[in-house]
Amino acid sequence: MESPIPSRRKFLTAVGNLASTGWIAMNWPQIALAAQHSGHNSGMGMTDPDAPPTKLATLSAAEAAEIDAIAEQIVPGGATPGARAAGVIYFIDNALGSFFGSQLPAFRQGLTEFGQGYAARYGGGKPFSAASGAQQIEWLQTVDKTPFFLAVRRLTVLGLIALPKYGGNRDYSGWTLLGVEDSHVWAPPFGHYDIDYAGFEPYPGTKPYMA
Amino acid sequence: MNSKTYKPSETVDFIVVGSGAAGGIVARELARAGNSVVVMEQGPRMAAEEFEHDELKYRHLSGITNNPVTNPQTFRRDPAQKAEAVAGRNPLTYARVVGGSSAHFNANFWRLHEIDFIEGSRLGPIEGASLVDWPITYAELEPYYTKVEWEVGVSGLAGASPFDPPRSKPYPMPPMPVKSSGVLFERGARKLGLHPFPAPMAINSVEYKNRPACIQCGLCGGFACEVQAKSSSVWTVIPEAEATGRCEVRANSYVFRIGMNRAGRATGVHYYDRERREQFQNARAVVVCGNGAETPKLLLNSATSGFSQGLANSSGAVGRYLMFNKGGNAAARFEHRLNEYKGANVTRIMHDFYDSDPKRGFYGGGGFDARSGGPLTWGQNVPKGTPSWGQGFKDYLESYTYWMTVSGHGTSLPVETNRVDIDPDAKDDWGVPAMRVTYNDHPDDVKHAKWQVERAVEIMDAAGAKQIVPGDVGAASGGVHLLGTCRMGNDPSTSVVDKYHRTHDVRNLFLCDGSSMVTSGRGQPTQTIEALAFRAGDFIAKFARANEI
Repeated sequence: MESPIPSRRKFLTAVGNLASTGWIAMNWPQIALAAQHSGHNSGMGMTDPDAPPTKLATLSAAEAAEIDAIAEQIVPGGATPGARAAGVIYFIDNALGSFFGSQLPAFRQGLTEFGQGYAARYGGGKPFSAASGAQQIEWLQTVDKTPFFLAVRRLTVLGLIALPKYGGNRDYSGWTLLGVEDSHVWAPPFGHYDIDYAGFEPYPGTKPYMA
Repeated sequence: MNSKTYKPSETVDFIVVGSGAAGGIVARELARAGNSVVVMEQGPRMAAEEFEHDELKYRHLSGITNNPVTNPQTFRRDPAQKAEAVAGRNPLTYARVVGGSSAHFNANFWRLHEIDFIEGSRLGPIEGASLVDWPITYAELEPYYTKVEWEVGVSGLAGASPFDPPRSKPYPMPPMPVKSSGVLFERGARKLGLHPFPAPMAINSVEYKNRPACIQCGLCGGFACEVQAKSSSVWTVIPEAEATGRCEVRANSYVFRIGMNRAGRATGVHYYDRERREQFQNARAVVVCGNGAETPKLLLNSATSGFSQGLANSSGAVGRYLMFNKGGNAAARFEHRLNEYKGANVTRIMHDFYDSDPKRGFYGGGGFDARSGGPLTWGQNVPKGTPSWGQGFKDYLESYTYWMTVSGHGTSLPVETNRVDIDPDAKDDWGVPAMRVTYNDHPDDVKHAKWQVERAVEIMDAAGAKQIVPGDVGAASGGVHLLGTCRMGNDPSTSVVDKYHRTHDVRNLFLCDGSSMVTSGRGQPTQTIEALAFRAGDFIAKFARANEI
């Protein structure tokens, strides 16, 4: 099977179709640079700046297992991919190690309290992530207004939909879930209701005019 | 192209502070009139290919906007309270790149109507507000609205709305192709006897002025247009200003104080360069085009012994009368896919309820449009009654392409205590005293926004929506339309600039941006800001030629 065409490449191709030759000529150096920046590894030993993280760098394996289990209950898998299949945990790990790094201490504190609360309710033998789905849902329903849960929820949604380079939305599975196609360029019709639009009908007393 | 550069020690004719919607135009007009010009821009100059389709970065991580970590602001609702930083965001948001907020705007370009300039005398005083007439009329500004449409580039259909103000020329480009949201909005509104029409947008619908037509990528608001189809200053007037050979755009140059001499004249600007070294650029005159937040901040931070309350502030009006454009909306889900993530943000608007109607029992008017949000921002919230996690939430996420929003865009009344001033404690990363925002909605603004929610619901119901979610009308805690904070007027005791944008107090200091606006208009101020800028450029150039600066 042919590998998915990167959206940026689609964009460049489409611009070639849409824009004037003059515009392309004028902008060709920038367009070529854009292709270079779009992260397609040239095979010359360069690091792809858009390559998503695939290893944990901030959270421990035990911490990640708990967060991953919560995220999978927020957007469950099943017939279509959920948070786990989208790699949301790698987004969360990346976020807490970089652009949301200031939230990490409070996040860790929240996770500790989450685990303590779970152990107090169900016994300390097994972590939340080892529980049955029904038990996980039962426990989450008791804590889903806490700042910690809301933080995991926010990060889960961001990880599901943000660009794959941040770690989640693996193979654009988050976008597929939402019905969003990966392309940089569109043309009408955009959706069901503009397919048969008959054109703008002027109102009595008006005379629309164009240059 | 290598543009002209100047040394800070050289005395240029004009410094323009800010490179956005107003600054770019003023710079072009002054440079074309033969003046030497340096444009100072806080942010970097980004090339087209550097702008990304990255919703996380641009909408959630301050990609090109003022970052609350490096450019903090504080907020309070009541002047008696101590203002505090707001977690994770700034109340007043604007872009910090060459092109300013014109780089990331949605590109809705509405002219004001004739009534906007004369509401004070037509409607009389409103308790708790300072609703006054502008010192100019629509007729005086009309040629400059036309200039914006043709020089900068606006697409639309002239004469389509029965409520359109008079115009001297049509738009230079046909309207953008309609989206499903536009079709449904038009269908619902027409059923109710209303008059929706093709949205005027500062986006190329066809190739225009050597820039390509829009590729309908769907990410306008918050993003810069890497194909240069959006008519942002960085792709339009700024290259034209540089092409004169007399204009330098100096990026990464943060102006923090206006220099003054003992005679009460501006001598130039103090700024931090790319390496955060303090510099001083000499000039014969200064035009500040920051925005409705940065312009009053700069004046207030430029207090000297002769201007202890801040520069050009003998009226006390600098920073006051902050307005945002409040509005109400409704989201709606339909039976089939709309795919609102595709195409320009707005394709249909409506001005039936533009004028304030005393019969409603409150002041306020506005326009409506059909629009949508990017998937990342949309997915953060759920309608009341929809699960926020679990299978029900996943089902909701899967409905994304079936939703649209009808948004009302309305008036905000000018209230004296709603203002930008300087926080007594907070400083930014450069050590410059940070801005403090005080804002509390006028009660009529809230009533009008709720009224708009009801109208939006009616339109979506008439369009056949399967589910309608009325928007919440909360207390405003910030905005992106930053208006009114250095208002224009004939009376030096109540306004900051005269009708030519010259400050009443300093002969060679001019201000032109959203801060000049006397009233808020109806929600889409950028074309008015640009028309004011063309007009200001015209007059300031005449003053310079006549040695009247």
